Amino acid sequence: MIIAERKPMKELLEMVSDVKRLLIVGCRGCVAVCSAGGDKEVSILAAALRLGMKKAGKQIEIDEDTLVRQCDPEYIDPLNDRASDYDAVLSMACGVGVNFIADRCPDVNVMPALNTTFYGANLSSGEWKEMCAGCGACVLHLTGGLCPVARCAKSLSNGPCGGSQGGRCEINPDVDCIWQQIYDKLSSLNRKEELRQIMPIRDWTTAGHGGPRRRIREDLLP
Amino acid sequence: MMAGSNLENVLRSGTFAVTGELGPPKSGDMEVVRKKARILKGHVDAVNITDCQTAIVRMSSLTAGLIALSEGVEPVMQMTCRDRNRIGMQADILGASALGIKNLLCLTGDHQKFGNHPQSKGVFDMDSIQLLQMVKGMRDDKKFQCGEDIKKAEPRLFLGCAANPFADPFEFRPVRLAKKVEAGADFVQTQIIYNIEKFRKFMEIVRDLGLHERCFILAGVTPPKSLGMARYMKKFVPGLDVTDEVIQRLSDAKDQKEEGIDICVDIINQVREIPGVSGVHVMAIEWEEAVPEIVKRAGLSDRPEPTGIEPVLTSTGAIEEAVDKARQEAKIELEGQLKKAKAEAQATRDLLAKEKEKVASEISGLKKQIEEAKNMVSRKEAEIRKLTEELKKAKESMDESQAVKPTVQAKEAAVGVSPLLSAREQQVLNSLNKGLAALKEVLGLDDAQFEAMRRFLEAEFMLQLGTAVVQAGPLETAKAESEVSRPVVETPTVEPAMEVSEDKRTERPKEVVNLVAKGNVALHNKDYPKAVEAFKKALEIASDDEKAKEGLEQAREALAKEKEAADKAVKVKEVEGLPPCPEELDPEEWKQKWIVRFTARGNVALMKGDYEAAKREFQKALELDPDYEKAKDGLRRAENQEDIFVPDVELGQEAVAAPKAEKAPESQKPEPAAEVKPEEETPPEEEAVPAEEEKEEVAEKPAAPQPKPKVEISAPAGEGVKDLSVASLAKDEPPLEERAKGIPEDVYKEPCTGVIQSVSIGDGDKAITVGGETALPFHTFEGDIPNMPRTAYEVLDAPPEEWPECLVRYYSDVINDSAAWAKKCVSEFGAEAICLSLDSTDPNGPNVSSADAAQIAKKVIEAVDVPIILWGCGNAEKDTETLREITSLIENRNVCIGPLTDANYRTLGATAMAFQYPVVASTPIDVNLAKQLNILLENLGVHLDHILMDPSIGAVGYGLEYTYSVMERIRLAALTQQDEKLSPPIVCNLGREVWKAKETRLPTDAELGDQERRGVLMEAITASTLLLAGGELAIMRHPKAINLTKVLIDGML
Amino acid sequence: MSKIKGFCCNYTLSVDIEALIKEGLVPEDLEIERLPCTGRLEVPQLLDAFSDGAEAVFVVGCQLDKCHNLSGSYRASKRVKYAKRILEELDIDPDRVEMFFAGRGETEPVVEAARIMASRSKG
Repeated sequence: MIIAERKPMKELLEMVSDVKRLLIVGCRGCVAVCSAGGDKEVSILAAALRLGMKKAGKQIEIDEDTLVRQCDPEYIDPLNDRASDYDAVLSMACGVGVNFIADRCPDVNVMPALNTTFYGANLSSGEWKEMCAGCGACVLHLTGGLCPVARCAKSLSNGPCGGSQGGRCEINPDVDCIWQQIYDKLSSLNRKEELRQIMPIRDWTTAGHGGPRRRIREDLLP
Repeated sequence: MMAGSNLENVLRSGTFAVTGELGPPKSGDMEVVRKKARILKGHVDAVNITDCQTAIVRMSSLTAGLIALSEGVEPVMQMTCRDRNRIGMQADILGASALGIKNLLCLTGDHQKFGNHPQSKGVFDMDSIQLLQMVKGMRDDKKFQCGEDIKKAEPRLFLGCAANPFADPFEFRPVRLAKKVEAGADFVQTQIIYNIEKFRKFMEIVRDLGLHERCFILAGVTPPKSLGMARYMKKFVPGLDVTDEVIQRLSDAKDQKEEGIDICVDIINQVREIPGVSGVHVMAIEWEEAVPEIVKRAGLSDRPEPTGIEPVLTSTGAIEEAVDKARQEAKIELEGQLKKAKAEAQATRDLLAKEKEKVASEISGLKKQIEEAKNMVSRKEAEIRKLTEELKKAKESMDESQAVKPTVQAKEAAVGVSPLLSAREQQVLNSLNKGLAALKEVLGLDDAQFEAMRRFLEAEFMLQLGTAVVQAGPLETAKAESEVSRPVVETPTVEPAMEVSEDKRTERPKEVVNLVAKGNVALHNKDYPKAVEAFKKALEIASDDEKAKEGLEQAREALAKEKEAADKAVKVKEVEGLPPCPEELDPEEWKQKWIVRFTARGNVALMKGDYEAAKREFQKALELDPDYEKAKDGLRRAENQEDIFVPDVELGQEAVAAPKAEKAPESQKPEPAAEVKPEEETPPEEEAVPAEEEKEEVAEKPAAPQPKPKVEISAPAGEGVKDLSVASLAKDEPPLEERAKGIPEDVYKEPCTGVIQSVSIGDGDKAITVGGETALPFHTFEGDIPNMPRTAYEVLDAPPEEWPECLVRYYSDVINDSAAWAKKCVSEFGAEAICLSLDSTDPNGPNVSSADAAQIAKKVIEAVDVPIILWGCGNAEKDTETLREITSLIENRNVCIGPLTDANYRTLGATAMAFQYPVVASTPIDVNLAKQLNILLENLGVHLDHILMDPSIGAVGYGLEYTYSVMERIRLAALTQQDEKLSPPIVCNLGREVWKAKETRLPTDAELGDQERRGVLMEAITASTLLLAGGELAIMRHPKAINLTKVLIDGML
Repeated sequence: MSKIKGFCCNYTLSVDIEALIKEGLVPEDLEIERLPCTGRLEVPQLLDAFSDGAEAVFVVGCQLDKCHNLSGSYRASKRVKYAKRILEELDIDPDRVEMFFAGRGETEPVVEAARIMASRSKG
């Protein structure tokens, strides 16, 4: 899922410093699952902003709402009707939600409450880890299912660099060397010979370096 | 030749190469680069110019490389993938090539996190291996990475890469190097080596992969400048293995710098011995001054004359500087020569003076001749002076004009000298020589005396000429000239110099002189056939030329010797079919080398999948040494067409274990049955399901024990359970004592010290008693369980509204009459007890009056003779009212009433006490609350043996675990801690919990299966679980579920 | 308006707060909210207490290993921790909110907590 985290309160307070009527809109998609922008986080943020604004001697009225998703038109379009009730809408969705509201709700002054960080998985309660970079050209079948693009500090394609020591990455001993893991995984699958193949220079156009990406499935188009 | 760089030339010539490292400054100060380059110049064959190492911004490697080049130091430009994408890199590569850079080291680059701009975006468009591939493509295929042609002047670069033998995974390191070589690396420089043993093992694998044959390997070394630096490297530099020995040596040393250099030299000496190492890469980080000393102590200071170092761009300043320098050098050398000649002349003169005296009278005639010669010499002197004057003038003019011009002038001047000199001058010298020869005969001088005389005369001659004509030495003007024209040190050309001197001494035709000179050069180079040919040619022209004759003889002699030696060598080795053994090696060593080489080739072929070629190579190796294990192994693999990955090498123990483990599955391949396949994992699971069913409902659908959702979809709802009977559990298992034979009893027995209260409900012979045990539920081996757990059928006081059809249908005929319902339960289903739920009295529901409810209850009580539990609606006030109403109607039937809560225990407790009814004490799911209510009841006067605890339960999926845990704790407290207040039996009103769960109400579908079955199982499982937790009385609804539960109880006790 | 607000688990405080105030054992401006279990307490409640004028807020739950709901007071302590983080971000002294633990039916720890928080609210 998409992992995000709340922006620092100072940044958010500055963002809404001139707002009198604010709607905080959460999202029950990924950000709810990663405890960044679901119902609970919306109420916490609302309480924190109220307190922060009060401390700054400013008046603010904050309403709370949480949508099923902010990446489908049917959920965000109703915001158009509520636009006149608020000076600003603070979206607690990932960047997709903020953009989509901006795209579809002409009168809504939308702001982001979160920093969208990565595509990751939930290791344990309160801990998430990046697993995918969304590069658009998956090579996981060659690397035992472990992604060198997302999980190697240098996105290497052809094996561990000289900084791999004891299974750890040179940039930080808390970071695993994914190439060591790829090597171990393929060894255990009896496939390590495959690592002798030189992986050719990548085509990064699919990774967004070819411009904003779009996906179309003809059969589903209206 | 890939690029013709000096480094490439040195490596290809087989000379042990030395490269250095130069870190560009963190400024635009060119002088820093110049200074470092000058320190290294002449001590190394090439110098690596780092590319913002450790991600710290520095002068670019391309620029610093060009500055070094202008200093006459060959750069190895480093290029990392961190800072540029393929567009930027290819652009820089073209530029570097255009400006004379010929070596490129391709690196991935240190992560930006380590540098002074950790916030920057790392590019890493590709990695070092892909970079090598790209540059190789540019060089060899003349194509850009995109595939487009490079139309003109493709970059010619000698490509290098790095390798770290000390990083993990160790076994993969040589493979990664193989990938780099495959991608295009011509040479490799390793990470700093301190751990020689590990490097040796690395090299062993490298040799087995044949990589040392495909690229040059330079071992990386660094002198540790101090103990602190060594410790830092050991601790903080990833992928660097500083041994404890090095640390120890430094900490013991008086002078750490000295010791550091010694350590480095020791390492160089050791790595030199490792086969496959072609050179060293000395990285003296910010300690360039140490390099000359290291190189000297390692005995490597005799570097080959550099070739191929040609800066393309130089400033006019640089040219002037170079010209000045060359001129000064020439001048100094000239003066030196003169001085030397003078001194020599003086010495000889003294010697000759004595001789002269001795033979004075007899040489007067000859003296005359000498006198004459001297005169001639003085005349020549004048001429020479004139020429020198001219030369001076030419040089002066050169200072003003462009660099190229004076060269031409100087050349002309030099050319002008020789014809003037040659004719008469040679004549004089010739006659002198002849005269001297005659003198020697006359005087009977021995060879030494004669030589001394001859040299004196020649020296005198030279002295007067003022220019050097040294036998077999270079013509000084010519040398000066060559240095002026190019600021590059070139090998002094021997041939033309000899030619000139020869030319001056004799009148031999120029051609002959040339040929003889050529012959002599060839002789010197040990190219005897060529020498013979040259001398022969010379004799063809001048058949009596002594020098040529002499040379020819020498050459022939040498040739004969060589042939003899070669013949001998061939005799030794022909049998083995090897190329001739070089002189410096003994044949046995040579043979060993070839065994390894053949094996390596074999492995290379094996890796490529060319099994035939591999076989051939391994066979060759085995011909030389039939016992060579690696070749044998290789041959076997080739014959079996097996692939190799990492050959067996004696590594550390762990490393040995790894390849072995790898092999194991291979050997198992022919027996796939031995491996556990995922498909095989499923059947046991499937078996597990029917096994469970067998336990609880063997009788049901015995023909088709496996659930078939498809069939059940089409089946009309309600067909799930047809037969209410349940087969009993097998009881033929031997008792525990027997099964646990041999195990001490105290191991599995943990007898309890407490006792559960016995509570009786009902009258006469239908009365039931629950509780009374002194052991945990069903632990018959640990204590006494006098009364088995019981079940009660729940009957409602009004037709149920929310019961699913699959449950209602068993009671549909009696649904409107609670008494008939209860009766049916007893007569038809064999109910042991009835629980009448007075749900309709709920003030929030139908709110049937207590009086009406009491009437219904009365009818029920009268209809059946089994024990009755009266269960209120849960509203404390209403229940008090209703239950009191009922108790006033029934006379001496011993019913159980409930639920008593903390809100109504006083009133209901008093009622119960008055009639001696057992009560249900109901509390929210909590041990302490349950205990508290018991205490309160006891304080009121209700005895514990008249209390059934209802701890509030949850159905499976709805908090069953919590219920279980609380009940278990209650039971343990009573039995193991003798907590009497928790000792009443537990009643579980679970039917209502189960049948209000969503899952029992959803209709039959493919996913959830048959509705009734589902409900029955949920109820039976909830019941059995709660009984295991300590429940004594289960109030349930579905007859089938009750039967299942009963069978379980029966089977377990 | 109360200056100090306390959230107490129903199982801790066994004495009427009015009585405590009368006895002068706790500050007069103390307001106690009883909860069935502190595990139910959410961060916004803590923050809202400040917004409503409290100078200091505290939570008294059961001893960590004695919680009636097993992990209720543990959850509460984590939420207090998170509330501290937010206060810090808002430049409010994080010590203005604190978690305390008390045994079943014990009143003293609550009194003690109120005193501690009263001293912090003045600081």
